[in-house]
Amino acid sequence: MNLVRRRNPANVNRDTGVDQLQRSINRLFDFDWDLDRDLDLFGGVSGPSVDLMENDDTYMVRCDLPGVEKDDLDISVSGNALTIKGEKQDSSEHKDGRYYRRESWSGSFQRTITVPETVDPDAINAEMKNGVLTLTLPKKEDVKPRQITVDVK
Amino acid sequence: MATTATNKELETRRTVRPVGNIWEEEGTVMLRLEMPGVTKDNIELRIENDQLFVRGHRDMHDEDQTYVIRERVRGDFAQTYTLDDTIDRERIDARMERGILTVTLHLKEAVKPRKIEVKAR
Repeated sequence: MNLVRRRNPANVNRDTGVDQLQRSINRLFDFDWDLDRDLDLFGGVSGPSVDLMENDDTYMVRCDLPGVEKDDLDISVSGNALTIKGEKQDSSEHKDGRYYRRESWSGSFQRTITVPETVDPDAINAEMKNGVLTLTLPKKEDVKPRQITVDVK
Repeated sequence: MATTATNKELETRRTVRPVGNIWEEEGTVMLRLEMPGVTKDNIELRIENDQLFVRGHRDMHDEDQTYVIRERVRGDFAQTYTLDDTIDRERIDARMERGILTVTLHLKEAVKPRKIEVKAR
């Protein structure tokens, strides 16, 4: 059981004056998409966004990686740090096209997230589907929740 | 081709604007939209008058899961583009691959750049 409450890293430092101003300006110009994400008037997309989920048996990581090939990914676990490394290539690049709008990022990326130490590193399963990476990390047997009956006398 | 603000229709579901690149290339205008998690069958693409509607539906609900980190954007991807007169409405191709939707809008023959040979006498 993890007793440390995690904060969404995207929301850390989100309440500084500059961010409030940024939000106000975005609202003014009707940029009404997700303001938690670094995709708005003064922002750029900084890297792949990650979800970490938990149930009784597994941890599950989902990562949005549109356009990334399975072979361009390198996933490693060291201690309780899970690192997703890879190369995002823009297939539309290198052409002498005239850009009207260009918002996507490309190049190498790396994300490290802390997974509770209770993961079995040999049993991690990775799947790439429709531009979303799904990692399944089974919990070790000894940390699965068990029902303990307490006799009240 | 100009973009309008986010699509206001079908507002029962939350929508986000997909990350997009638009460029012109060899007589076409290319649209490349990043829609991770959207399959080919969940794409809605239609033209009404001068508006091109793009919507990618995705279901992100995972049963029996508690979130520890939650950064990914929720909601459908949606965007509306205004097409100008240079776009041939009858020739629009779309392809979905690895979470990226590529739409090829062909320019009308009349507006394609032409090279005119000058004959010397």
